[in-house]
Amino acid sequence: MSRDKTNALEIVDHATCTFCGCVCDDIKLHTDRQRIHKAERACVLGKAWFLNHTAEAKYPAALIDGREAPLDDAIALAADLLYEADMPLVYGMSNTTCEAQRECVAMADTISGIVDSHTSL
Amino acid sequence: MGGKVTCTLGEVKNRADFIVYWGGNPAECHPRHFTKYTIMQKSRFLPRGRKDRTMVLVDIRETKSVKAADIFLQIRPGKDFELITILRALIKDQPVSDAAIEQTGLQRDAVEDFVRRMKAARFGVIFFGMGLSMTRGKHMNSAALLTLAAEMNAVTKFVAMPMRGHGNVTGADVIMRWQTGYPFGISYNRGYPRYNPGEFSTVDVLVRGDTDCAFIIGADPGATMPRPAIEHLRRIPTIVLDPHVTHTSRLARVHITTAPAGIAAPGTAYRMDEIPLPLRPAIDSPYPTDHQVVQRIHQAILAKPDWRARTAQQERQLDATN
Repeated sequence: MSRDKTNALEIVDHATCTFCGCVCDDIKLHTDRQRIHKAERACVLGKAWFLNHTAEAKYPAALIDGREAPLDDAIALAADLLYEADMPLVYGMSNTTCEAQRECVAMADTISGIVDSHTSL
Repeated sequence: MGGKVTCTLGEVKNRADFIVYWGGNPAECHPRHFTKYTIMQKSRFLPRGRKDRTMVLVDIRETKSVKAADIFLQIRPGKDFELITILRALIKDQPVSDAAIEQTGLQRDAVEDFVRRMKAARFGVIFFGMGLSMTRGKHMNSAALLTLAAEMNAVTKFVAMPMRGHGNVTGADVIMRWQTGYPFGISYNRGYPRYNPGEFSTVDVLVRGDTDCAFIIGADPGATMPRPAIEHLRRIPTIVLDPHVTHTSRLARVHITTAPAGIAAPGTAYRMDEIPLPLRPAIDSPYPTDHQVVQRIHQAILAKPDWRARTAQQERQLDATN
């Protein structure tokens, strides 16, 4: 990482785009850590993906029954619901990291649940 | 690689002189696939790049990818399995009737030319998209195509690769295979992993109403699944982890906002050819990562007493230790 002298933006080189299955890892991002201003070498889909996310807190940290709630309460309630369920389902895992996926599989094991991804669609 | 006859995209880039896209539209869905990995690249073995490569597109309608193709085979919807079976017969010089070929929407000349070109290739690759794997025949189509690629190896080098969408869906397959031995549709309800798509695949589980709590991460089934499945998600307590408040979040008991992977959250993602790549986040998100939240929920569950049924032997051991 280095500072771009012309516009004082941080350059993140060899950034990885996770929009589609190509997972292009040659993207050059120009960022001020709040917003990405430019995504070099990204395709139209990748550009939209990088430029549409910001560091702005657009949504509440958590919602319980549609109302804003503290993160700790949401985590405790999620744990209670999954623990009490007879046949919990863990699903998705597409737009997330392998580290989170691994934890999801471990959690499905703990709660004796079903674990499944987009692949089954 | 889960038993597939496949290779990495680097090998395709350097060696593949015959490239087939089946039931996919890379020009619009994977815009850099042509330029980075397949037809446009020059390499040591294919020094003239595009001129050294032949691209065939098999699809039911004309998409933007047709312009990039040398040969476009427009087949009748739902006839993929039939065409694959005919190709498998023809490469082994088995007789196929004109009627059988015509029902796929193609002429005998076109199919025989396709077979000739496949056999003449030095390194052939078939990329298949959701137009093959999500239409009539579903996973049987994918299985037939992978078999076709495997059988072509009696003649020349041939591989097949699915064109995966959705960012790290390949990673989900790899991680589940590593942890459980199976790629998806897994149940732990007997305490050990069992694999049975149709029984443990999400749409089926939801439509039948088999689950009484759903944990959704990095997906929005509320926007994409059939109505009975969504209705069941609304009936049961659903927990959603997502960078956005999604359709699923709106029908969920709990929504937790997380940092978007690759943009604000670090980690690893798998490319469609099962190459793991590091993520380099460029934004400081105010939200925790998926990994952190799942870890905290899992820890909270582990802190509770284990409720699972014990065997008589385990009960006796527990009694003895108490």
